Amino acid sequence: MNLDLTRGGRPRILAFLTLAIMAVFVVRLFYLQVIQHDYYVAQANEEQLKQLVIPAQRGEIYAMNGDTPVRLVLNETVYTVFADPKIVEEPEKIIETIQRVAGGNARSGLDALLAKKDSRYQILATKVTRKQAEMIKKENLVGIGFQEATQRVYPEGQLAAQTLGFVDGEGKGRYGVEAYLNDRLVGTPGLLQSVTDVRNVPLTIGDNYINKPAKDGDNIVLTIDRNVQAYAEKALAKGLKDTGATHGSVMVMDPQSGKVMAMANLPTYKPAEFNKVQDAAAFNNATVSAPYEPGSDVKTMTMAVGLDKGVVEPKSTYNNTDYIKVEDRTITNATKGQTGNITFQHALNYSLNTGFVTVAQRLGDGKNITREARDTMYDYFHNKLNLGRLTGIEVAGEAPGTIIPPTDVDGGAVRYSNMAFGQGMDVTMVQACAAFATIVNGGTYYTPTVLAGTINENGGFDPTQKKPAKYDVISQSASDKVRKMIHDARSAFYAGKDRKGYYIGGKTGTSQTIENGVYVDNQTVGTYLGYGGENSTGTGPKYVIMVQVSGKNMNLQGAKDAMPIFTDISNWMIDYLKLQPKG
Amino acid sequence: MSYTRTTQFRTQRRSNWNRNQNTTRFASNVKLGPVTHTVLVALMITVLGLIYLTQATRASSYDYEAQAIDTKIAEMATEKTDLEVENARLTALESVQNSSVARTMTEPSETNYASE
Repeated sequence: MNLDLTRGGRPRILAFLTLAIMAVFVVRLFYLQVIQHDYYVAQANEEQLKQLVIPAQRGEIYAMNGDTPVRLVLNETVYTVFADPKIVEEPEKIIETIQRVAGGNARSGLDALLAKKDSRYQILATKVTRKQAEMIKKENLVGIGFQEATQRVYPEGQLAAQTLGFVDGEGKGRYGVEAYLNDRLVGTPGLLQSVTDVRNVPLTIGDNYINKPAKDGDNIVLTIDRNVQAYAEKALAKGLKDTGATHGSVMVMDPQSGKVMAMANLPTYKPAEFNKVQDAAAFNNATVSAPYEPGSDVKTMTMAVGLDKGVVEPKSTYNNTDYIKVEDRTITNATKGQTGNITFQHALNYSLNTGFVTVAQRLGDGKNITREARDTMYDYFHNKLNLGRLTGIEVAGEAPGTIIPPTDVDGGAVRYSNMAFGQGMDVTMVQACAAFATIVNGGTYYTPTVLAGTINENGGFDPTQKKPAKYDVISQSASDKVRKMIHDARSAFYAGKDRKGYYIGGKTGTSQTIENGVYVDNQTVGTYLGYGGENSTGTGPKYVIMVQVSGKNMNLQGAKDAMPIFTDISNWMIDYLKLQPKG
Repeated sequence: MSYTRTTQFRTQRRSNWNRNQNTTRFASNVKLGPVTHTVLVALMITVLGLIYLTQATRASSYDYEAQAIDTKIAEMATEKTDLEVENARLTALESVQNSSVARTMTEPSETNYASE
């Protein structure tokens, strides 16, 4: 073949070749970039695109210190120190350093752990603080690593443990406020989606970059005053020691707002060491979760109902024979001998059951606890004073208790005669406190609460919106009368125990307990429910305190066993609140 | 290889253009072949690619700086938290009650009240 190369032939060949090569590239690139686009993008994303969850900080919990919020629960960064025994060098130095720096947080048998050469991960110490971790890092130990974690810290130890609750290993709140307000405390995790380099450093390139910051949980401020709480716990512990009771609870409430200043329960536990607790009952806040028969404390409420309905006055009289018949049952007084025509004040002083059954009868036709009387009592107890109903207090595990309505087959005259002096019904301490606060504060029911507000981003305190109150549950006049009756009942026997110049009142309660559905004789719960702090300003009581003590096979009395604890706390509250005496 | 660059300007009047509008056309004596064109285009693409890479790398370097700052912020936040925990522990009721100052305090023997 004879080829004649003409002028310009080589450039054409070159151009042709270039075009041909380019065409190959174009076709290949088209295949890779267009047809196989999704496949390669997916592969690239799998390798380069990382989704990192930005953890939200769990909200802190504050208590009040007077008017200032102080931290009760904080978060702390801690580290788990681990070793890769396969690459560890200088095991003696590692053991010496870990034991010296981590102390009690170091695991035992470190030499055995480091000798496990077939293992790549052995934990040497847990809950090591940042400072300790830095000290270990400075030693440049080969084969040692750190894992970061956050844990709850309780600078006040076991203070208000059952009110706070704790956070379990999965980061979920358990019991108390931690459980009830878990959704608010936990916050919302953020998301960082980004292409990363080989060191996992996020690069702000590409269309898939997403940076959604985490929203930390709310910092909650409780109404619990840490000083009142600490003193209540101290007084309760002393009271249990003095009486031999094994269980006890104290609640301190502001009757002018429903704010709970203290909820103390014994036995208790340290929230930081919740995993060491043997009996899970210690986690329960008995003041809200353990309904009981309130006993004679309720007589104050029956009297308030009678006064409000205008069927009795403090000086009204009835004929006390120490016995009273209701249908086929005979009800007796625990204290006998105060017979004859006596006033209802007298009946309250001696806690005579007959007096309050009489009040219930007078709510009816005067002789019987009629349906009308029962409806009235139920309306006051259940609907107005919220006994036997959930209060909505922000502590997990609240129990409603029981008030049998008159419409129930068990809601007859006998039941309601018992309810008049606190039997045949179950209520919690928080219900009893809130109801008692209502009858002594002028007649307003304030929903009990432990939530004072939140700490905002600037560190300021934002008070929470007040819960709705029920006004005129009883009249001001009825409230004034019953408040005086309760004061006189206390003064009749225990006046010398109070600080002079202060208006203090209270009522004892000694309740039988039910075991397997039957009242037992060898076990009673002692309670005392009172108010105080009213001074020369005449603005009403400043605190309501309820004390409850109990023990297995123990007959504990309201006056002997619970009242001294009330008196101790009451006298201390006067100083703490800086209340000036009358006169 | 050298080029002699001369330029000529000549006016043209086109009937479909606006009246009285003078137009010029640049006429170069330099003739570029297809290979030169290809090379020039390739060079331009290369330069543009380099510019893109430079900018992308610069953007990435900012990410490293931002990452370093974020790390520093996180460290300082952890340090702040540690200090807050320490402060809370030191001001806890038990710590205050056991302090040397509290131990020397005594109950008041008498309390007087100023009238309100």
